[in-house]
Amino acid sequence: MSSATAKTDRNAPHETFDAIVIGAGHNGLTAAATLARKGKRVCVIERNEQVGGMMTDTLLAPGVMAPRMAHLLYNLNATVARELGLGGRIPLRTATLPTVALSPEGAHVVIRGGQAERVDGSAHQQADVFAALHRRLLRFAELLARLANQTPPKLAGGLTNPDTLSELSVLARLGLDLKLMGRKEMQEFLRITLSNVHDLLVDELGDGPLAGAMAADAVRGAFAGPRSPGTVFALMYRLGSPKPPGTASARATGREGGISRSGGGSADPVLPLDGMGAVAEAFARAATDAGAEIRCGQGVAKVLTDTEDRVNGVALEDGSTLLATTILSSAGPLQTMEMTGPAHFDIEAVRRFRNLRHKGTTAKVNLLLSDTPTFTDLPPELAAGRLLIAPSSAYVERAFNPAKYNEMPTAPVIEMVLPGLSQGSSGKDAAKPDQQVLSAIINFVPPSPKKGWRASERRALLKVLLSTLEAYAPGISKLVTASEVIAPDDIAAETGAPGGHWHHLEMGLDQILTLRPTNGTAHYAFGPQGLYLCAASAHPGGDITGAPGRNSALQALKTGSA
Amino acid sequence: MTKPATRTNAAKTGAMAATKTRATGEKKAKASASQVPQGLLPTPIYPRLDALSRTKAWMGWAGYISPSVLDTVEFEYFAIRNQTTLFDISPMHKYRLRGPDAEAVLNRLVTRDVSKIKPGRVGYAIWCDEDGMAIDDGTLFRLGKNDFRLCCQERMLGWVQDAAWGFNVTVEDESQTMAGLSLQGPTSFSLLNDAGLGKVAKLKPFDLAQIEPGLWVSRTGFTGDLGYELWVDWDQVLDLWDRLWAASTHWGLRAIGYEALNIVRIEAGFIAAGVDFQPIHTTMRLGRGRTPLELGFGRMVDFNKGHFNGRRALLRQQQAGALRSHLVKIELGGFKPADGALLYHQKKKEVGHVTSGIWSPTVKRNVALAEFKAPFGVGVTDDLWAEIYVHEEGQWSKRLVEVTVQDGPFFSNPRARANPPLAF
Repeated sequence: MSSATAKTDRNAPHETFDAIVIGAGHNGLTAAATLARKGKRVCVIERNEQVGGMMTDTLLAPGVMAPRMAHLLYNLNATVARELGLGGRIPLRTATLPTVALSPEGAHVVIRGGQAERVDGSAHQQADVFAALHRRLLRFAELLARLANQTPPKLAGGLTNPDTLSELSVLARLGLDLKLMGRKEMQEFLRITLSNVHDLLVDELGDGPLAGAMAADAVRGAFAGPRSPGTVFALMYRLGSPKPPGTASARATGREGGISRSGGGSADPVLPLDGMGAVAEAFARAATDAGAEIRCGQGVAKVLTDTEDRVNGVALEDGSTLLATTILSSAGPLQTMEMTGPAHFDIEAVRRFRNLRHKGTTAKVNLLLSDTPTFTDLPPELAAGRLLIAPSSAYVERAFNPAKYNEMPTAPVIEMVLPGLSQGSSGKDAAKPDQQVLSAIINFVPPSPKKGWRASERRALLKVLLSTLEAYAPGISKLVTASEVIAPDDIAAETGAPGGHWHHLEMGLDQILTLRPTNGTAHYAFGPQGLYLCAASAHPGGDITGAPGRNSALQALKTGSA
Repeated sequence: MTKPATRTNAAKTGAMAATKTRATGEKKAKASASQVPQGLLPTPIYPRLDALSRTKAWMGWAGYISPSVLDTVEFEYFAIRNQTTLFDISPMHKYRLRGPDAEAVLNRLVTRDVSKIKPGRVGYAIWCDEDGMAIDDGTLFRLGKNDFRLCCQERMLGWVQDAAWGFNVTVEDESQTMAGLSLQGPTSFSLLNDAGLGKVAKLKPFDLAQIEPGLWVSRTGFTGDLGYELWVDWDQVLDLWDRLWAASTHWGLRAIGYEALNIVRIEAGFIAAGVDFQPIHTTMRLGRGRTPLELGFGRMVDFNKGHFNGRRALLRQQQAGALRSHLVKIELGGFKPADGALLYHQKKKEVGHVTSGIWSPTVKRNVALAEFKAPFGVGVTDDLWAEIYVHEEGQWSKRLVEVTVQDGPFFSNPRARANPPLAF
């Protein structure tokens, strides 16, 4: 396999940029914006016709838009939001949603601002215990979140290496803050961080909708159940969003980088009122405002290298060539390696990429309902919240079982939103005001069914979803006028996420921090000089945070030729 | 068989499905699952060797019974240097790479530029892990433009398959299907001539040719002398042995064991994996691996050929001048073999050890390969000493002898390179 080299054989010289970003997902756009803000000439290459990656809207029916994949923001990185001006200079209308943990018996629990209550507003019997646990997890999460804005430390440089020392200083501060929490809290942190979330929840809360809701949040998108090790860390990751430096009270004021969140450090999810596509557009605007160029509709066929083991451009699918000595890839490490050619990577690195864990267990189903559904014993105004079908942690664990054997779930875990019920939301068909979109994320679906994700598998999944929903909202099936099932293979094909994994790569203990995506590649750079990973497969990981993109761009500025 | 790891990889499946492996041993094992062979296995030559062996001194080599000594080390050693000798090299690991990308895969694997080894040529090669540490060394036979055989000491199938992943190449483990005989010594050409294989006359050192259908001969060896390696199918090697033996009347042919071979390879200055360096995949402790630069093979590392495994680490080491050790050839005072002796600078500071040491009966010198901590052995070559412990009938004594660093092999004879080969 000869290395492809950019040739300047055409009459017109090739366009040259300081950096090329492959993929206009939110991380790619964040990376582009970060580089452009530093005065670099950046071009973002997006294979699809629109930007956004997993953060796009889909036309569910004529005149009706629905979130195609992701439908909520959990922990948008505050530093990213501030630097990009999201919600400030670039407006972004959002609403903070309560979480409703549905119970088949009608004993639903509402989680809002870190507090649990009954749907009628009365106190939940575990309210105090839950509030204390939630506060503690948030505090721990904030500690860990500091690592999210940094390149993970590596010790290989030795203690005499200034880069290593500065990276280690982050760890040292973390250690100091751990100490400052007090002996008991520090011991608790060390006790639970690597453990499984089921034990933690059942020990503290007993099992039920409250524990089920947290268990579901810990494993959403994962090939793991609440009893799998490392799920407490995953929950903390989901809860944690680092405070921007110098704004220690940002969380307390309920305003963070312009994105409203309820006070008190709640980690409540946020619904973009103009759809996910609007969030993608906001990221894209931040990039273009900073001077980056975004080109859609043309993918990268090959990353080009020179004879000196450096990248020097990309060849697009149409055969044209763009030159740059820094390439940031939103694709997974394996896909990026294949675009560049395995010859440019060490054999061990390729072996690790081939063995990464990225089984996609998450499917998305959008339903168009002719009328607002009624959930048993749930006040209509709460149907606008984030609704969870995860009535217990044990239920979540059992729901994971079929996926292990590539089988269809019978009682899946579901996170759903009816965006149209939130005040001020757009994207509805004005002619049919009662019509509602129900956006559901389903765990756990088989990563690769024996005969693939054919129409019959999709129909079966839809059937499972509806039969599950019927238990909570009788008659909902009859309201369905349109539906779409987006299976892991669609997610992989449309976004390039390896295996269609919700977080690109499993957020397991073996694939986080200095091991994300693999040992030796946690510094974003890998393979030939100038090549970087910039999306969810890099540290800190998945969800709409923007942190991998920003960290990667900063690393490229620090070490690369950008 | 490698499997595509992801769906997006599907386009490459075709190429990868081609990366197949035929493990004959496995097939055999499957056929007689109830009779898994235990202990060391005989090679096809074993019946002849057993008949010749007076010492019954056998050793294990890659799972096969191999002679350590057949008669006496002295007889066998002098036969290598003065007559001709046969050594069964069938146990060596052999991997066949065929396909349009075979050269690219090998260039990725080894540190030297494989494109410079032309069809019909053999090259010494060394290969490294991602940290630049030597995994093994061996000889690379180029049978055709897209056809190579890699011969080495360590089991390497998984590694070669991983190197070939994503390339259009087949990898076949020929360790148990191809056999080899090493015919070494000044009269080796004469013997081949008498055996009807006079066509080998055209072979220059490191040349390779198919002399008869199914019989490949290379002018290579581990002795630094005139010699040939003959490669045939596993089930034909016994006939070849008998054919050579039948032609040996005038040429003093002897079968030899490893001990005599070890003396001549040290005389020739050849390193042995597991002896002069520790193959990195077999080490457990940190820092026990060595880079080709540290082993003195800087000339075998081609930084300009494109990426190869360990290139980035090796380049960093070279640019930083951060070699930790030097493997060099040394001559020592006295006549007591220095194997394992510790080396000192100014008789006080410990700076290394001997990895292979012998008294050379031919050059009449006490010679060795030794590993020095850098910069000793290359930057600092004065005032070096070896502490040799000698055991004589229950009594140990210690001798401090002077060490001189050597360039080039200890034994070198023009007959090894003469073209055409001389008929002694």
